[in-house]
Amino acid sequence: MASGASLIPARHQPELPIARFLTGGAPDPEHVPMDVVFVGGGPAGLAGAIELARLTKKDNESGGSLGDIQIAVLEKAQALGEHSLSGAVVNPRAIRELFPDLTDKDFPFRGPVEGERVYFMTGSQALRIPTPPTMQNHGYFIASACEVVRWLGERAEELGVNIFTGFPAASLLTEGEKVTGVRTAEAGLAKDGQRGPAYAAATDITARVTVLSEGTRGSLSQAWLESRGVQSENPQIFALGVKEIWETKKPLDAIVHTLGWPLPTSAFGGSFMYPLSPNTVALGLVVGMDYPDASLDVHEMLQRMKQHKLFRQYLDGGEMLEWGAKTIPEGGYYALPKQKSGDGVLIVGDAAGYVEVASLKGIHYAMQSGMYAARAIFDALKKGDTSAAALSAYDRAIDASYITEDLRKRRNMRLAFQKYGFYVGGAMATLMTLTNGAFPGGKIESHRDSDAPRLAGAGERFVPDGKLTFSKLDAVYKSGNATRDDIPSHLIVDQDVPAEIAELYVHMCPAGVYERDGERLVVNPANCIDCKATDVIGPRWTPREGGSGPRYRQM
Amino acid sequence: MKIAVCVKRVPDMDARFRISADGTSLDEAGLKFDINDFDAWAVEAALQLKEKAGQGEVVVMSLGPVAAQETIRKALSMGADRGIHLAADRIPFDGFAIARALAAELKEGSYDLIFFGKMSPDSSNGIVGPIVAELLDYACVTAISGLEMADGRGTAKRELEGAQEFVEFTLPAVLTVDEGLNTARYPSLKGIMAAKKKPLESKPAQLGDTMVTIKSLAMPPDRPPGKIVGEGAAAVPELVRLLQTEAKVL
Amino acid sequence: MANIFAFAEQRAGELRKVALENVTAARALADATGGEVHALLAGSAGIAQKAEQLGKHGADVVLVCEHDALKDYNAEAIAALAADRIKSGGYRVAVFSTSAQGRDLIPRVAAKLGVGIVTDVTDARIEGDAVIVTHPVNIGKVIATASIASTPAVIGLRPGNTTLVENAKAARVEQVQPVGDPSASRVKVKEMKQGTSAKLDIGEAPVVIAGGRGLKSADGFKLVDDLADAFGNAAVGATRAVCDDGWRPHSEQIGQTGRVVSPDLYIAVGISGAIQHLAGMRTSRTIVAINRDKEAPIFKIADYGIVGDVAEVLPALTAAVREARKSH
Repeated sequence: MASGASLIPARHQPELPIARFLTGGAPDPEHVPMDVVFVGGGPAGLAGAIELARLTKKDNESGGSLGDIQIAVLEKAQALGEHSLSGAVVNPRAIRELFPDLTDKDFPFRGPVEGERVYFMTGSQALRIPTPPTMQNHGYFIASACEVVRWLGERAEELGVNIFTGFPAASLLTEGEKVTGVRTAEAGLAKDGQRGPAYAAATDITARVTVLSEGTRGSLSQAWLESRGVQSENPQIFALGVKEIWETKKPLDAIVHTLGWPLPTSAFGGSFMYPLSPNTVALGLVVGMDYPDASLDVHEMLQRMKQHKLFRQYLDGGEMLEWGAKTIPEGGYYALPKQKSGDGVLIVGDAAGYVEVASLKGIHYAMQSGMYAARAIFDALKKGDTSAAALSAYDRAIDASYITEDLRKRRNMRLAFQKYGFYVGGAMATLMTLTNGAFPGGKIESHRDSDAPRLAGAGERFVPDGKLTFSKLDAVYKSGNATRDDIPSHLIVDQDVPAEIAELYVHMCPAGVYERDGERLVVNPANCIDCKATDVIGPRWTPREGGSGPRYRQM
Repeated sequence: MKIAVCVKRVPDMDARFRISADGTSLDEAGLKFDINDFDAWAVEAALQLKEKAGQGEVVVMSLGPVAAQETIRKALSMGADRGIHLAADRIPFDGFAIARALAAELKEGSYDLIFFGKMSPDSSNGIVGPIVAELLDYACVTAISGLEMADGRGTAKRELEGAQEFVEFTLPAVLTVDEGLNTARYPSLKGIMAAKKKPLESKPAQLGDTMVTIKSLAMPPDRPPGKIVGEGAAAVPELVRLLQTEAKVL
Repeated sequence: MANIFAFAEQRAGELRKVALENVTAARALADATGGEVHALLAGSAGIAQKAEQLGKHGADVVLVCEHDALKDYNAEAIAALAADRIKSGGYRVAVFSTSAQGRDLIPRVAAKLGVGIVTDVTDARIEGDAVIVTHPVNIGKVIATASIASTPAVIGLRPGNTTLVENAKAARVEQVQPVGDPSASRVKVKEMKQGTSAKLDIGEAPVVIAGGRGLKSADGFKLVDDLADAFGNAAVGATRAVCDDGWRPHSEQIGQTGRVVSPDLYIAVGISGAIQHLAGMRTSRTIVAINRDKEAPIFKIADYGIVGDVAEVLPALTAAVREARKSH
């Protein structure tokens, strides 16, 4: 069925609009002055804000001269947690370090991992395989990222951190090489870009240090790294995860991971299914975005997957409560930026790429990196020096930490797959595990997802049944997406997108932002749930009016 | 000009509601709350009047548990000057009791205008504003979707079923706000920062006796399965008949 | 034995349908206790002629107050009058309607009397010392049963929810005087305009007719506008898809982030029924769907459906509704 056309998404993808994300010139006279601003209220930003607030409080209490340090966390979602999405099975290491006086039962986790099963799937079977050593989750906890974030938010507010929800950062304020703060996005613009009745202008927030905790594919992080020329050796690569939460009649007694079907051997990824409670499960499918089949559609693949008896046995008779999607940085060790800090700025969490693919872990690395950032910032504030030199203590802390150690051990696993395919890559992955990363040793080159060629194909038509399987339109509703319908488009689309590329976008986007009308690409920007898949291989994503996008509750 | 606005914290109506074990209240776990939309328009109306007059004070009041203070802070972030929280363990269903407590506090303030939202979507009664007006012996105009003020008098527009009414009123007055009067402003970041420093006083609510109580809550019955009446234009007479006699909507 | 009070709402000298609903409901309550129904009718000179109509539905007595200053709705005067009559009459229950006027009037009356009040009532009965009412809350997603412990209990019925019943009674007219000077109101109606500012708002209209992609084009909406016109009290809504395509403004959008509406009658024309649209209208009292695809999900939620071509069905329905409305 392949039409034979090989498509390179990069050819149709607009360049990163760096100038838009880095604003020079003096800040607005009405600017809001802060000492430290965290861009993004996820685990990294909040852990950082908490650690910094605690350090400054303790310092003041013991007679230090820092005074009242104003810390702000900017979050684009309407409320904390509404844009957070993860599996999730969390390594409690970082949260224990952040809250040494609390015990595990005080943490916002659903429960400890009781059992674990891994399957290799075919269309009709699920073959249990031994749990690979990279995936051992014993001693970890099942959690909802939303709940973790909300809980961290409450702890942060208790410590006097100012949390501003509904305020996306649209650009960095800069003075030459120095980052001096951020400018928030405007709100209340009509579809044609004119100011509507509830128009709210952008606000400038100045800060001595800006921490970019934007999460996956952060726009400001990308712009800053590229402008400084300190991006990683290998380009960052991404996977797209689509996730659902179901109320179920039959309880699930273990965390489940699968490989194989429904993914083709040319695609890297797998699925997960975790019990959130005796009658709720979280399940999802994660697929590397360098897949060669242009008609691959992760959302639809997840819908098909649910029909397999392994999943169906839990979902039948139940109800889908929520749906969502998010990308995950998968480049690992070689995709970490060469420099993660600069004059007045640091990058933490997923925005920096601290995710370990083989074990599917990122939340505790995010929190830990936020804490290292906080310590470096604290020392910098004490010295009165927030220059790149002072803040580079953060880079050193990261380099010496278990974050880097873990990522280094598995550094070539995902890359081997990208370069060598399923079987050889799989074999190499095994060798890497057995040798704890020693072999194969040297860096495997990788390319951007957008440079990966795709074969245009017709794909199979998928008809949802509305009970077990859902269309993208119905799914987006379940994400709680409450974006204003007449909002201007936040997506930068290339001129004259050819029909096959439009088709690629239609399948790429899990939320149905892209539709094809004959030869024409139709864009429904209000559907966007900020997963960032589009920014990876399609039209560029830019920050838009605060509160837009999904409103996740338990994701 | 002294203006008061009474606001209420309500749950997001998009949620799936669950009745709690006591059978007379809803389970709040997982619900998101925010200021009642009608009340947000009321706050906006008050702010616009103050801005137009170039002087005055906008005081925001809310009755309920501690969480009501969040809603007051939101109004303060929009630009209101100070807040008064009337503390009560629960917001009673009996609007009269709420009105009594609010009126007792509002009486102290000698307000020229008191704004309410026309109704709140949770309790869905729409009675608190007018009852407060009676208790304070203020003029009252409900469900306004247009407003003009000049020299101690005002003109308000009200939407009726298939008609519009233009009403003149004198001050002091209670006005309840309907959709269409204005679009509520987003709180600015500066507004949110400033709100943290604005005075918010909390005192116990004087509710008095309640005359109306909830005996029980229930989920509405499942819609009975519908029927396809027929095909094409030929099915129209039967549909109309059913709408008239069975559904009684025609 | 308990007498029941019913308020007879009038506009421009004519009784509104809700007045008859109030009397019907009051009659049912009175019959249960062996009491009488006393209706209050206020308006300008000559309004007394409408008493007979109230009698037809069960009013034993009609208290009539005729005064120039009561021609249009005079909130303060009517509230004072109603409270005064209810107090002196010793009624067990005072029945009003939760119409636009009723929403304004009922709380004023209850406040003057210092008694319990519930509006938007879908059922009411007297049980010992209490009046038990059913009242939808949370946009109809939950139904509350409440108990009013005062005498009288003041209730506002949900308009359109009571089937009119003929039960002719004497309708003996008693002239009553207004309380104080009705022209001294602090709130005065300056002007009334028939029809609404824009089209009827979808959030308020008792009937909402919504069109979707099945109408084929922006022009296809003319069929919907015609049907709305035939109803006279209908507003036009649209799905997100057609608003995004620019056929209709987003202010008419129902579902997704558009409006949630809960009219008495919702007619979905050429709409397939995606969840995000259903969420915007599923609490409507009666749902009718017209779609050419009999598998369309909308038919699962509709109370009544017609499978067919909208271009064929709508004109026929419009004509039938116009005919039916003539006798309204």
